[in-house]
Amino acid sequence: MDYTLEELEEMKQIILIAIPKEISARDFYLNAAKKFKTQESIQLFLSLAEQEKGHEASLRKILKDIEENIIKIKNSK
Amino acid sequence: MKLEELSKHNGQNGEKAYVAYKGKVYDVTNSKRWKDGVHMARHRAGEDLTDFLALAPHTDEVLKSFEVVDTLEIDESKTQSSKETLIKFYQKFHPHPVLIHYPLGLFFFAALMQLLFLLTSLSSFELSAIYAFFVATIMAIPAISAGFLSWWINYDKQPTKIFKNKITFSIILVLIGITGIVIRITNPDISSTNSLAFIIYNVLIFANLPIVLFIAYEGGKITWA
Repeated sequence: MDYTLEELEEMKQIILIAIPKEISARDFYLNAAKKFKTQESIQLFLSLAEQEKGHEASLRKILKDIEENIIKIKNSK
Repeated sequence: MKLEELSKHNGQNGEKAYVAYKGKVYDVTNSKRWKDGVHMARHRAGEDLTDFLALAPHTDEVLKSFEVVDTLEIDESKTQSSKETLIKFYQKFHPHPVLIHYPLGLFFFAALMQLLFLLTSLSSFELSAIYAFFVATIMAIPAISAGFLSWWINYDKQPTKIFKNKITFSIILVLIGITGIVIRITNPDISSTNSLAFIIYNVLIFANLPIVLFIAYEGGKITWA
């Protein structure tokens, strides 16, 4: 799908803002995991933390793609 | 192999399709699920997928059927960035949200006191206004500095629209504050006159309110939108 430069800039901003939220969520779950002693509870929060790490990695990948597209559009002008 | 070399094995143009997971490099070239180096239209070969597996509908057991062809060398210089200490400090103390609310509130308090002075002519209100305006302006400086720190740490100093707006109007806010303070200090009797300086001083105190609201609104968009 072809996006306009404005759309890509807006998407970039949204992704940029979302990344620290994923990092905070991960830290939140890691800290939560420290509060428990049973393996099940610890594993639950560690697993949630891992998922947030995955979200962050996905967002960074999307951000990279958006930035590449922005450069392409700017270079083609 | 290093990440750079791994990226060459992307499964396209006759290249092998390699993926890394927890330091091991797997050859997925012959997998039907990695046709042309693309998996589920989402992941591409030549990448380290360690962080992504938690989101997959399968576990890392699936990788056992693939041959390990190498180990992935992690570039320590990249993982131990100079930002790390500051990031930990920021995550623990989050100075920008801690510092920003006092100056914003005080600018409103200053305007309220000045308004009461204009309505009642009681000098104590005028004095309260300049004290609040002075403290708000001074406190805005560390708050804005913490904002720059947050911008650098969390958003890699990317100059998107929200951040441009916040930076521009924060600078205007401080300039208005400093100008107002200078006018008031150099004209101690300003409030007993109807001079041009008195008018400008009042305009500056009240003009800061929409600017404060706009900066807060943009900050809210980052946090909640």
